[in-house]
Amino acid sequence: MNSSLSPSPLALCDVSRRSFCEKWAKASLGVTVLHGLGGKVLAETGGPGFGKAKNVIFLQMIGGMSHIDTLDPKEGPTQGPKTPISTKAGFQLGGTMENLAKHADKVSIIRSMTSKTGVHASGQYLIRTGYEQRGTIQHPNIGAWAQHFKGNSHKTLPSSVCVNRQPNAGNGFFPASFSPLPILDPDAGLQYAQSDASPDVMQKRLAMLDKLDAGFRERFQTASVKSYTQFYEKTVAIMSSTDLEAFQLSDEPAALREKYGQNKFGQGCLLARRLVEKGIRYIEVAKGGWDMHNNIEEGLEEHGAELDVALSALLDDLKERGLLETTLVVLCSEFGRGPKINGNAGRDHHPKVFSTLLAGGGIKGGFIYGASDKEGMAVADKQTSPQDFLSTIGWSLGLPVDEVVMSPSNRPFTVGDKGKPVMELFA
Amino acid sequence: MKTRLLFSFACALLSTSLRAEPATAAPDGNTVYRTWADAQGRKLEATFRGIESGQIFLQVRNGYVYRIPLDKLSPADQEAAKTLKPEGLGIPADPNLAQAAAQIDMLVNAGLAKAGQKPNPLASDEQFVRRVYLDIAGRIPTREEALEFINDTSLSKRAKVIDRLLASDGYNSHLFNYFADMMRVADVAQKARFYTYQDWLKGQIADNVSWDKIVYSMMTADGRLLDNGATGYLLRDAGMRLDNLSLTLSTFLGANVSCAQCHDHPFADWTQRQFYEMASFFGATETFGTRGSKGYGMQNMRKVLASLDDRRLQQQAKNLLRVNAMAVDDGEENDLKLPDDYKYPDGKPGDLVKPKLVTWSDTKNTKAYQNVETKKEEDLRAQFAKWMTSPDNPRFAMTIANRLWKRAFGLGVREPVTDLDDVDAAVNPALLRHLGAEMVRLKFDLKQFMRVLYNTQTYQREATSHEMADSGPYLFPGPVLRRMSAEQAWDSCATLVVGSDVDKFKAHRGATYSKVMSIDLSSDASPDAVKAQIENAVAAMRQYGGANGGNPKNNAKKKRMMARQAAAADGDDSIEVAPPVRDGLVLARASELPQPEKDQHFLRMFGQSDRQIADSSSDEGSIPQVLMLMNGEAQKVIGQNDSLVIQTASAQKTPEQQVESLYLSFFSRKPKPDELADAVAALGNGITSRDLSWVLFNTREFVFVE
Repeated sequence: MNSSLSPSPLALCDVSRRSFCEKWAKASLGVTVLHGLGGKVLAETGGPGFGKAKNVIFLQMIGGMSHIDTLDPKEGPTQGPKTPISTKAGFQLGGTMENLAKHADKVSIIRSMTSKTGVHASGQYLIRTGYEQRGTIQHPNIGAWAQHFKGNSHKTLPSSVCVNRQPNAGNGFFPASFSPLPILDPDAGLQYAQSDASPDVMQKRLAMLDKLDAGFRERFQTASVKSYTQFYEKTVAIMSSTDLEAFQLSDEPAALREKYGQNKFGQGCLLARRLVEKGIRYIEVAKGGWDMHNNIEEGLEEHGAELDVALSALLDDLKERGLLETTLVVLCSEFGRGPKINGNAGRDHHPKVFSTLLAGGGIKGGFIYGASDKEGMAVADKQTSPQDFLSTIGWSLGLPVDEVVMSPSNRPFTVGDKGKPVMELFA
Repeated sequence: MKTRLLFSFACALLSTSLRAEPATAAPDGNTVYRTWADAQGRKLEATFRGIESGQIFLQVRNGYVYRIPLDKLSPADQEAAKTLKPEGLGIPADPNLAQAAAQIDMLVNAGLAKAGQKPNPLASDEQFVRRVYLDIAGRIPTREEALEFINDTSLSKRAKVIDRLLASDGYNSHLFNYFADMMRVADVAQKARFYTYQDWLKGQIADNVSWDKIVYSMMTADGRLLDNGATGYLLRDAGMRLDNLSLTLSTFLGANVSCAQCHDHPFADWTQRQFYEMASFFGATETFGTRGSKGYGMQNMRKVLASLDDRRLQQQAKNLLRVNAMAVDDGEENDLKLPDDYKYPDGKPGDLVKPKLVTWSDTKNTKAYQNVETKKEEDLRAQFAKWMTSPDNPRFAMTIANRLWKRAFGLGVREPVTDLDDVDAAVNPALLRHLGAEMVRLKFDLKQFMRVLYNTQTYQREATSHEMADSGPYLFPGPVLRRMSAEQAWDSCATLVVGSDVDKFKAHRGATYSKVMSIDLSSDASPDAVKAQIENAVAAMRQYGGANGGNPKNNAKKKRMMARQAAAADGDDSIEVAPPVRDGLVLARASELPQPEKDQHFLRMFGQSDRQIADSSSDEGSIPQVLMLMNGEAQKVIGQNDSLVIQTASAQKTPEQQVESLYLSFFSRKPKPDELADAVAALGNGITSRDLSWVLFNTREFVFVE
């Protein structure tokens, strides 16, 4: 191990920026002055696209989605297994995106995303929260931020749901009740919402539960015990909700279920649409299988196709129901994959440049923002960070993205960690 | 024996009398020192730890415990011993163990004292027995097991229950769960089943193979997954040697290098070049495909495959080929090169990289670095493994020691446990270094190491009840209050229903799977013979279903069938009995169920790792999880009449005894007077013991470990 810090330019930006800001906040302004500084002004003036989205469907590809084979196709030796497809919007998509190509007029693509980490877990954390993973604090996802600024989106159901993934403390430093409700299997929906005991017996049980556990709760007033107590309160409320059918995919017509694709991601997207209709603000749907180090052709045949079918069906469905105007759909991944096909016919991690997609919620259709270079190796134009990407989502939701919020440990945070919303994306 | 004891008595007298430490510097928080005298008038300054079977236990300042026949003491001291209250709670009969534990206590207490903090009070027997069962055996004690401990009056009962649990099947199961999360052990990876890997790992744990040997075996394993389960670690990431190495370094050496895979580490000292130099030790190792020198007869199989005319059979045979081809093999060429986007001045993209071991800035002891031979390419892995698992490696012992500490206390001395680059940044660096040294002294015997940890007074203190974030670094005044892991919770549910029998069932899936899938591809096998083998294997394969299982009931049936077959194959009568199934739940220990379980299973809903990311089990709550606890199968099965906890309670005569029985089963304690009164009143008011079991199951007290 060398004894001095490396001279890499990457070494500087994030850490130094953050610690600078923290010190600055403490030393010169004090937290109360910072709080609410710019947010109010923004909220009043707004701007293009501000607050257009009432809901967000956040599609997160787990494992590192190859940008070259999906949203940013290349020709020549880096092309990959399939030839690019032309679209009516005038740009091309990767050969796997047959169906999406027909919806190119509805979407914007950022082709100049860049990130500093090629490690799955930390990359996933970053693209979800805008912050680097730290041992000392959990950062909220955008759903929790929205709940903080705008309150609950539904009377009894939670404001955020995550499908095909664990919540991973998506509430961050906000209360546990801001954590997204996980649906690990969309077909099964929200299980166990019915008690096998009669309402009368359940009442008695709950009263006893409160009584007999009081001593323990009194003795151990830790955050984790308190958060369990909150989950119990929230759960009892949900059990009496009249909107539980939001989670029942069996109510959807068979043909529509087929259209989204009979797989967890397809059904997850359909569930997301149902939840949007019911007034749930922030829905994350995850899809694994993208870590295609080996045999990327086979991987794309399965996972690329599943994404293509489900996303296309989702855009169609939202449009038909008049929900696309008020629903922002985004597609992202922790990083892209390298231009070079490796010895195992796969591609390796590539955070240096990759792509994301946005649609609805005031976003332009048929628009490409930024560019990668000829091989898809590096950013060529309009570099965009995960922070910018998440700030754009926050902007679309009408969140005061530069308002500093203090965590309970008294550290300053903002939606998207001081990223800049990409204003050109908004119509 | 007697003379030796008296002789050491004299030595202790000598050594202790030379030191003039204040009475507050007691080894493990004990404060009352007294000068004891034997019949000859020789003196010893020590705390009184108790009397058992005519022996008095006296602990001197360095932690050593003397056992002295009571009648050797002066008459006055014999009298004093009868009236004095023993310090601390019990004592291990083994003086060396007591001393090793006391040394840790001393370091913890020194850290607390420096920060002006005090250790927590000692835990009660009830708190201790529940915690120690969960921590060592991975499940709550049954009512009988709890009572047996609580009613035991012997002085060394805590040490004894620790010994018994460390020798139990539950210990093996629980430690397997920990490693399974740490190393992402999954039934299915790379479209093959990793059963032989699991069986191998379980075997290593059951035989208490030392940690250095286990890790060495995984790093150097050769051959097919079907024949050698130890290859599973490298094959888990077949074709992804950089990812695999990144995990290896952080998991086993606490080297936070993952960033350096793509660029120089932004905050630590690691460079990308260093990462590639380490990866170069695996540069001649083949884990994907059949390019290795031996090839395992795959060419032969490919030919046969091409000749199959049934397409479905061909597809299935392809999968079979893939499984048979899963192998680790060393070639003669090290092909590790710098990546295409390498941007530092010390190399160009595509440059071949020579293997070179990393050092840490505090690497003073260089013994592990001597005699590392990097000339023979096929030997590189072994050289790396030798260095990595050496007692002189600067981080290997410390990393596993810190991990096991976290397992016992809820937090590492240094967090995260995957980053020990800066030892001095630990909350108690002296403690961390000592734990590493202990691991080396104990020759990487994990069980022995845990025995020391669990015998410390620090472990045997009450769990910390205040919120840790509020009070700066956690210095271990006692263990942290923890939520049960998914596996602990599940195994505890099963214990409530079937009792300690839950530990009996063992799945040995590896042998059966290997037998079914293995194709003899020796070059002299005729194409027809190979084809016949393929057809047989494909037929047998169907019973394993697809990667995603099928419906749970069929799976349970399938599992039982496989268990029986495995038992028959092993000629092992003890596992003839399949695990009980109630309402679709297979009541076996989590370690014997699919790895990981299906998404909707209790285990996953309660936070079992998906085995995609290392150390990713979760102790978060969620609404679906609470719905499951309130309305799912587990509460139902626990509350049914055929459940042990209900049967035991029903057999009691009075409502008071019923409530007490339930409390002992769920919490390993008797109810407090007001709890008893409330519960008895409820039983008389339309609440059944089933309802009461629902209530206790849903308390925070049940899912948290005090």
